Amino acid sequence: MAQHTLEVIVENSPGVLARVAGLFSRRAYNIERLSVGPTSNPETSKMEIVVNLDGHALEQVIAQLDKLINVLSIKEILPHSAVPTVHDTQPDYQN
Amino acid sequence: MSQMNGASALVASLEAAGVDVMFGIPGGAILPAYDPIFSSSIRHILVRHEQGAGHAATGYAQVTGRVGVCIATSGPGATNLVTPLADAAMDSVPVVAITGQVPSVAIGTDAFQEADIRGITMPFAKHNYLITDPADIPRAIAEAFHIASTGRPGPVLVDIAKDALQKMTDFKYPTSVSLKGYQPKGAPDAQAVIDAADLIAQSSKPVFYVGGGAIKANANRELLELAQLLGAPVVTTLMARGAFPDSHPLNLGMPGMHGTVSAVTALQKADLLITLGARFDDRVTGKLSTFAVNAKVIHADVDPAEIGKNRFADVAVLGDLRLTIAALIPVLKAALAKTRPDLTAWLHQMNSLKAAYPLGYDMPEDGSLSPQYVIERLGKISGPETIFAAGVGQHQMWASQFVSFENPRTWLNSGGLGTMGYAVPAAMGAKVGAPDTTVWAIDGDGCFQMTNQELVTCALNNIPIKVAIINNESLGMVRQWQTLFYEGRYSNTNLDSKRVPNFPMLAEAMGCVGLSCDRPEDVDATIEKAMSINDQPVVVDFRVNRDAMVWPMVAAGTSNDNIMIARETAPDWDSQEL
Repeated sequence: MAQHTLEVIVENSPGVLARVAGLFSRRAYNIERLSVGPTSNPETSKMEIVVNLDGHALEQVIAQLDKLINVLSIKEILPHSAVPTVHDTQPDYQN
Repeated sequence: MSQMNGASALVASLEAAGVDVMFGIPGGAILPAYDPIFSSSIRHILVRHEQGAGHAATGYAQVTGRVGVCIATSGPGATNLVTPLADAAMDSVPVVAITGQVPSVAIGTDAFQEADIRGITMPFAKHNYLITDPADIPRAIAEAFHIASTGRPGPVLVDIAKDALQKMTDFKYPTSVSLKGYQPKGAPDAQAVIDAADLIAQSSKPVFYVGGGAIKANANRELLELAQLLGAPVVTTLMARGAFPDSHPLNLGMPGMHGTVSAVTALQKADLLITLGARFDDRVTGKLSTFAVNAKVIHADVDPAEIGKNRFADVAVLGDLRLTIAALIPVLKAALAKTRPDLTAWLHQMNSLKAAYPLGYDMPEDGSLSPQYVIERLGKISGPETIFAAGVGQHQMWASQFVSFENPRTWLNSGGLGTMGYAVPAAMGAKVGAPDTTVWAIDGDGCFQMTNQELVTCALNNIPIKVAIINNESLGMVRQWQTLFYEGRYSNTNLDSKRVPNFPMLAEAMGCVGLSCDRPEDVDATIEKAMSINDQPVVVDFRVNRDAMVWPMVAAGTSNDNIMIARETAPDWDSQEL
């Protein structure tokens, strides 16, 4: 299993951290590291989530995360890259 | 815009959302809302337990296609809604639950009747809200109805602090809802539809694997046209019974753990699964690694997270299923005009299996009542327009097997969560949603003892449902597993319900008509008598043989290839050309 870093932009609403953390917990995925911080927009926050998952499980986590109403976007940050890359396995449903 | 308190804004919002009925019980924290409910046009049905309110909302939603609404107070009122909301999530039913919460200053202090219901329902609710400002109520209600009813439907909870119900606010109901983080897909991508049609045109053993999404999306007419266009066999899962007529020659029935030999085998031997609003549930696939090993998969669903969750999809078609099938029909027509696969041999194989292994049962040798016979006669006498709601267990499987379903939204059951006690309150909600249709609850004696108090609600509110208790004085499905897998050691599955309670007397005490039947020759007359009573709920205690088992069966965790048609009896595969 490889380590992946997800950058998740969420609405800055009460309970959103619990929603994200709870999703990982109930779907039996481990979070290696998690940080939450502000963005330039006061209505949103940025989460960086590091997970140890293979490709299929990673796709599932991203798809399930995307179902959370308060999650606005999900990107995978590739290692040794300063530029976040939109996750290419994500189907085009986010518009 | 007008000034009113939060409670009035809540009720005005529900009216603006088009709510005509809700099921609930008042209590301290929700009490302010019950004052405007008293003078609202919305019919409020006072249930006897909040679980009943939740399942009634589900039954109403399943039958009408509209959002079901339930309402309860904080703490225990809210936690009693947990089971029906989890149930609605598993079966993708649009439900909005309104709960009162302790005043905002008391939140987090372990106040009287405080429970963090938003936190409790977070794992399964499609979304939920905690409202502490009355100005947020109209928007939360509008969003809740939008989220519950669009995309993959599901339950949404709106928890409102008592002081938010009491404070004044300017009421303005939003004219539209737009959520940045929630954009369910409508029409499918054209290329995905073309890819699906190409794959279908290349297949020689295709099967339509139809799930509950076909009913949620109101796609039954399109499905019928598509199935007839290709002429391939159709299987309808437990949640999809009625999406495609049972009487149609292409319908092989239900797949899965208690599915027909032909439906299970069609999936196993197919070279293409045309998956429409189904989710590769473990009860359908059996041991996943052995499921349909030679099949490619087209997976059409509105929920992107279902694609590839359990089974890789060669072609994924995301979108509303009715729009998806409607888009697929002309594209497939064109593809078939170029290459039309010859399905004759495949259809012949499946039809010969269907003929060799129809669903059946033996009449008990001791002259006692066969549960399958009772259920079969209920379906025959009551007819294809009737709505049936089942509990969970043997009677549920027999109802799915032996009632012939011809129409969508006529079969209600707890498929995903497997909630015993679902039938009576769900039937109540169904009857409220379809007052001119006959509604039968087919219930077990175990299930019935979990939620029967809603018959009081039915009797007092002119909701004349009919209940057939399939009384085998056992937790029958658990007992069946004890027979098969625990050497007949019947640990705690004997309910003694032919001794206590006296179901007809219990029914009479709740304001219903109570009947009983224990001889095969009396079954038709008893059903006809129940059918003739339409001004009161009717409960029939069918006292059946307790040793009847549900067959066919694929034991949990094993391959569908190991389907058994009776105890230690597999189909005679050698006599079939597969």
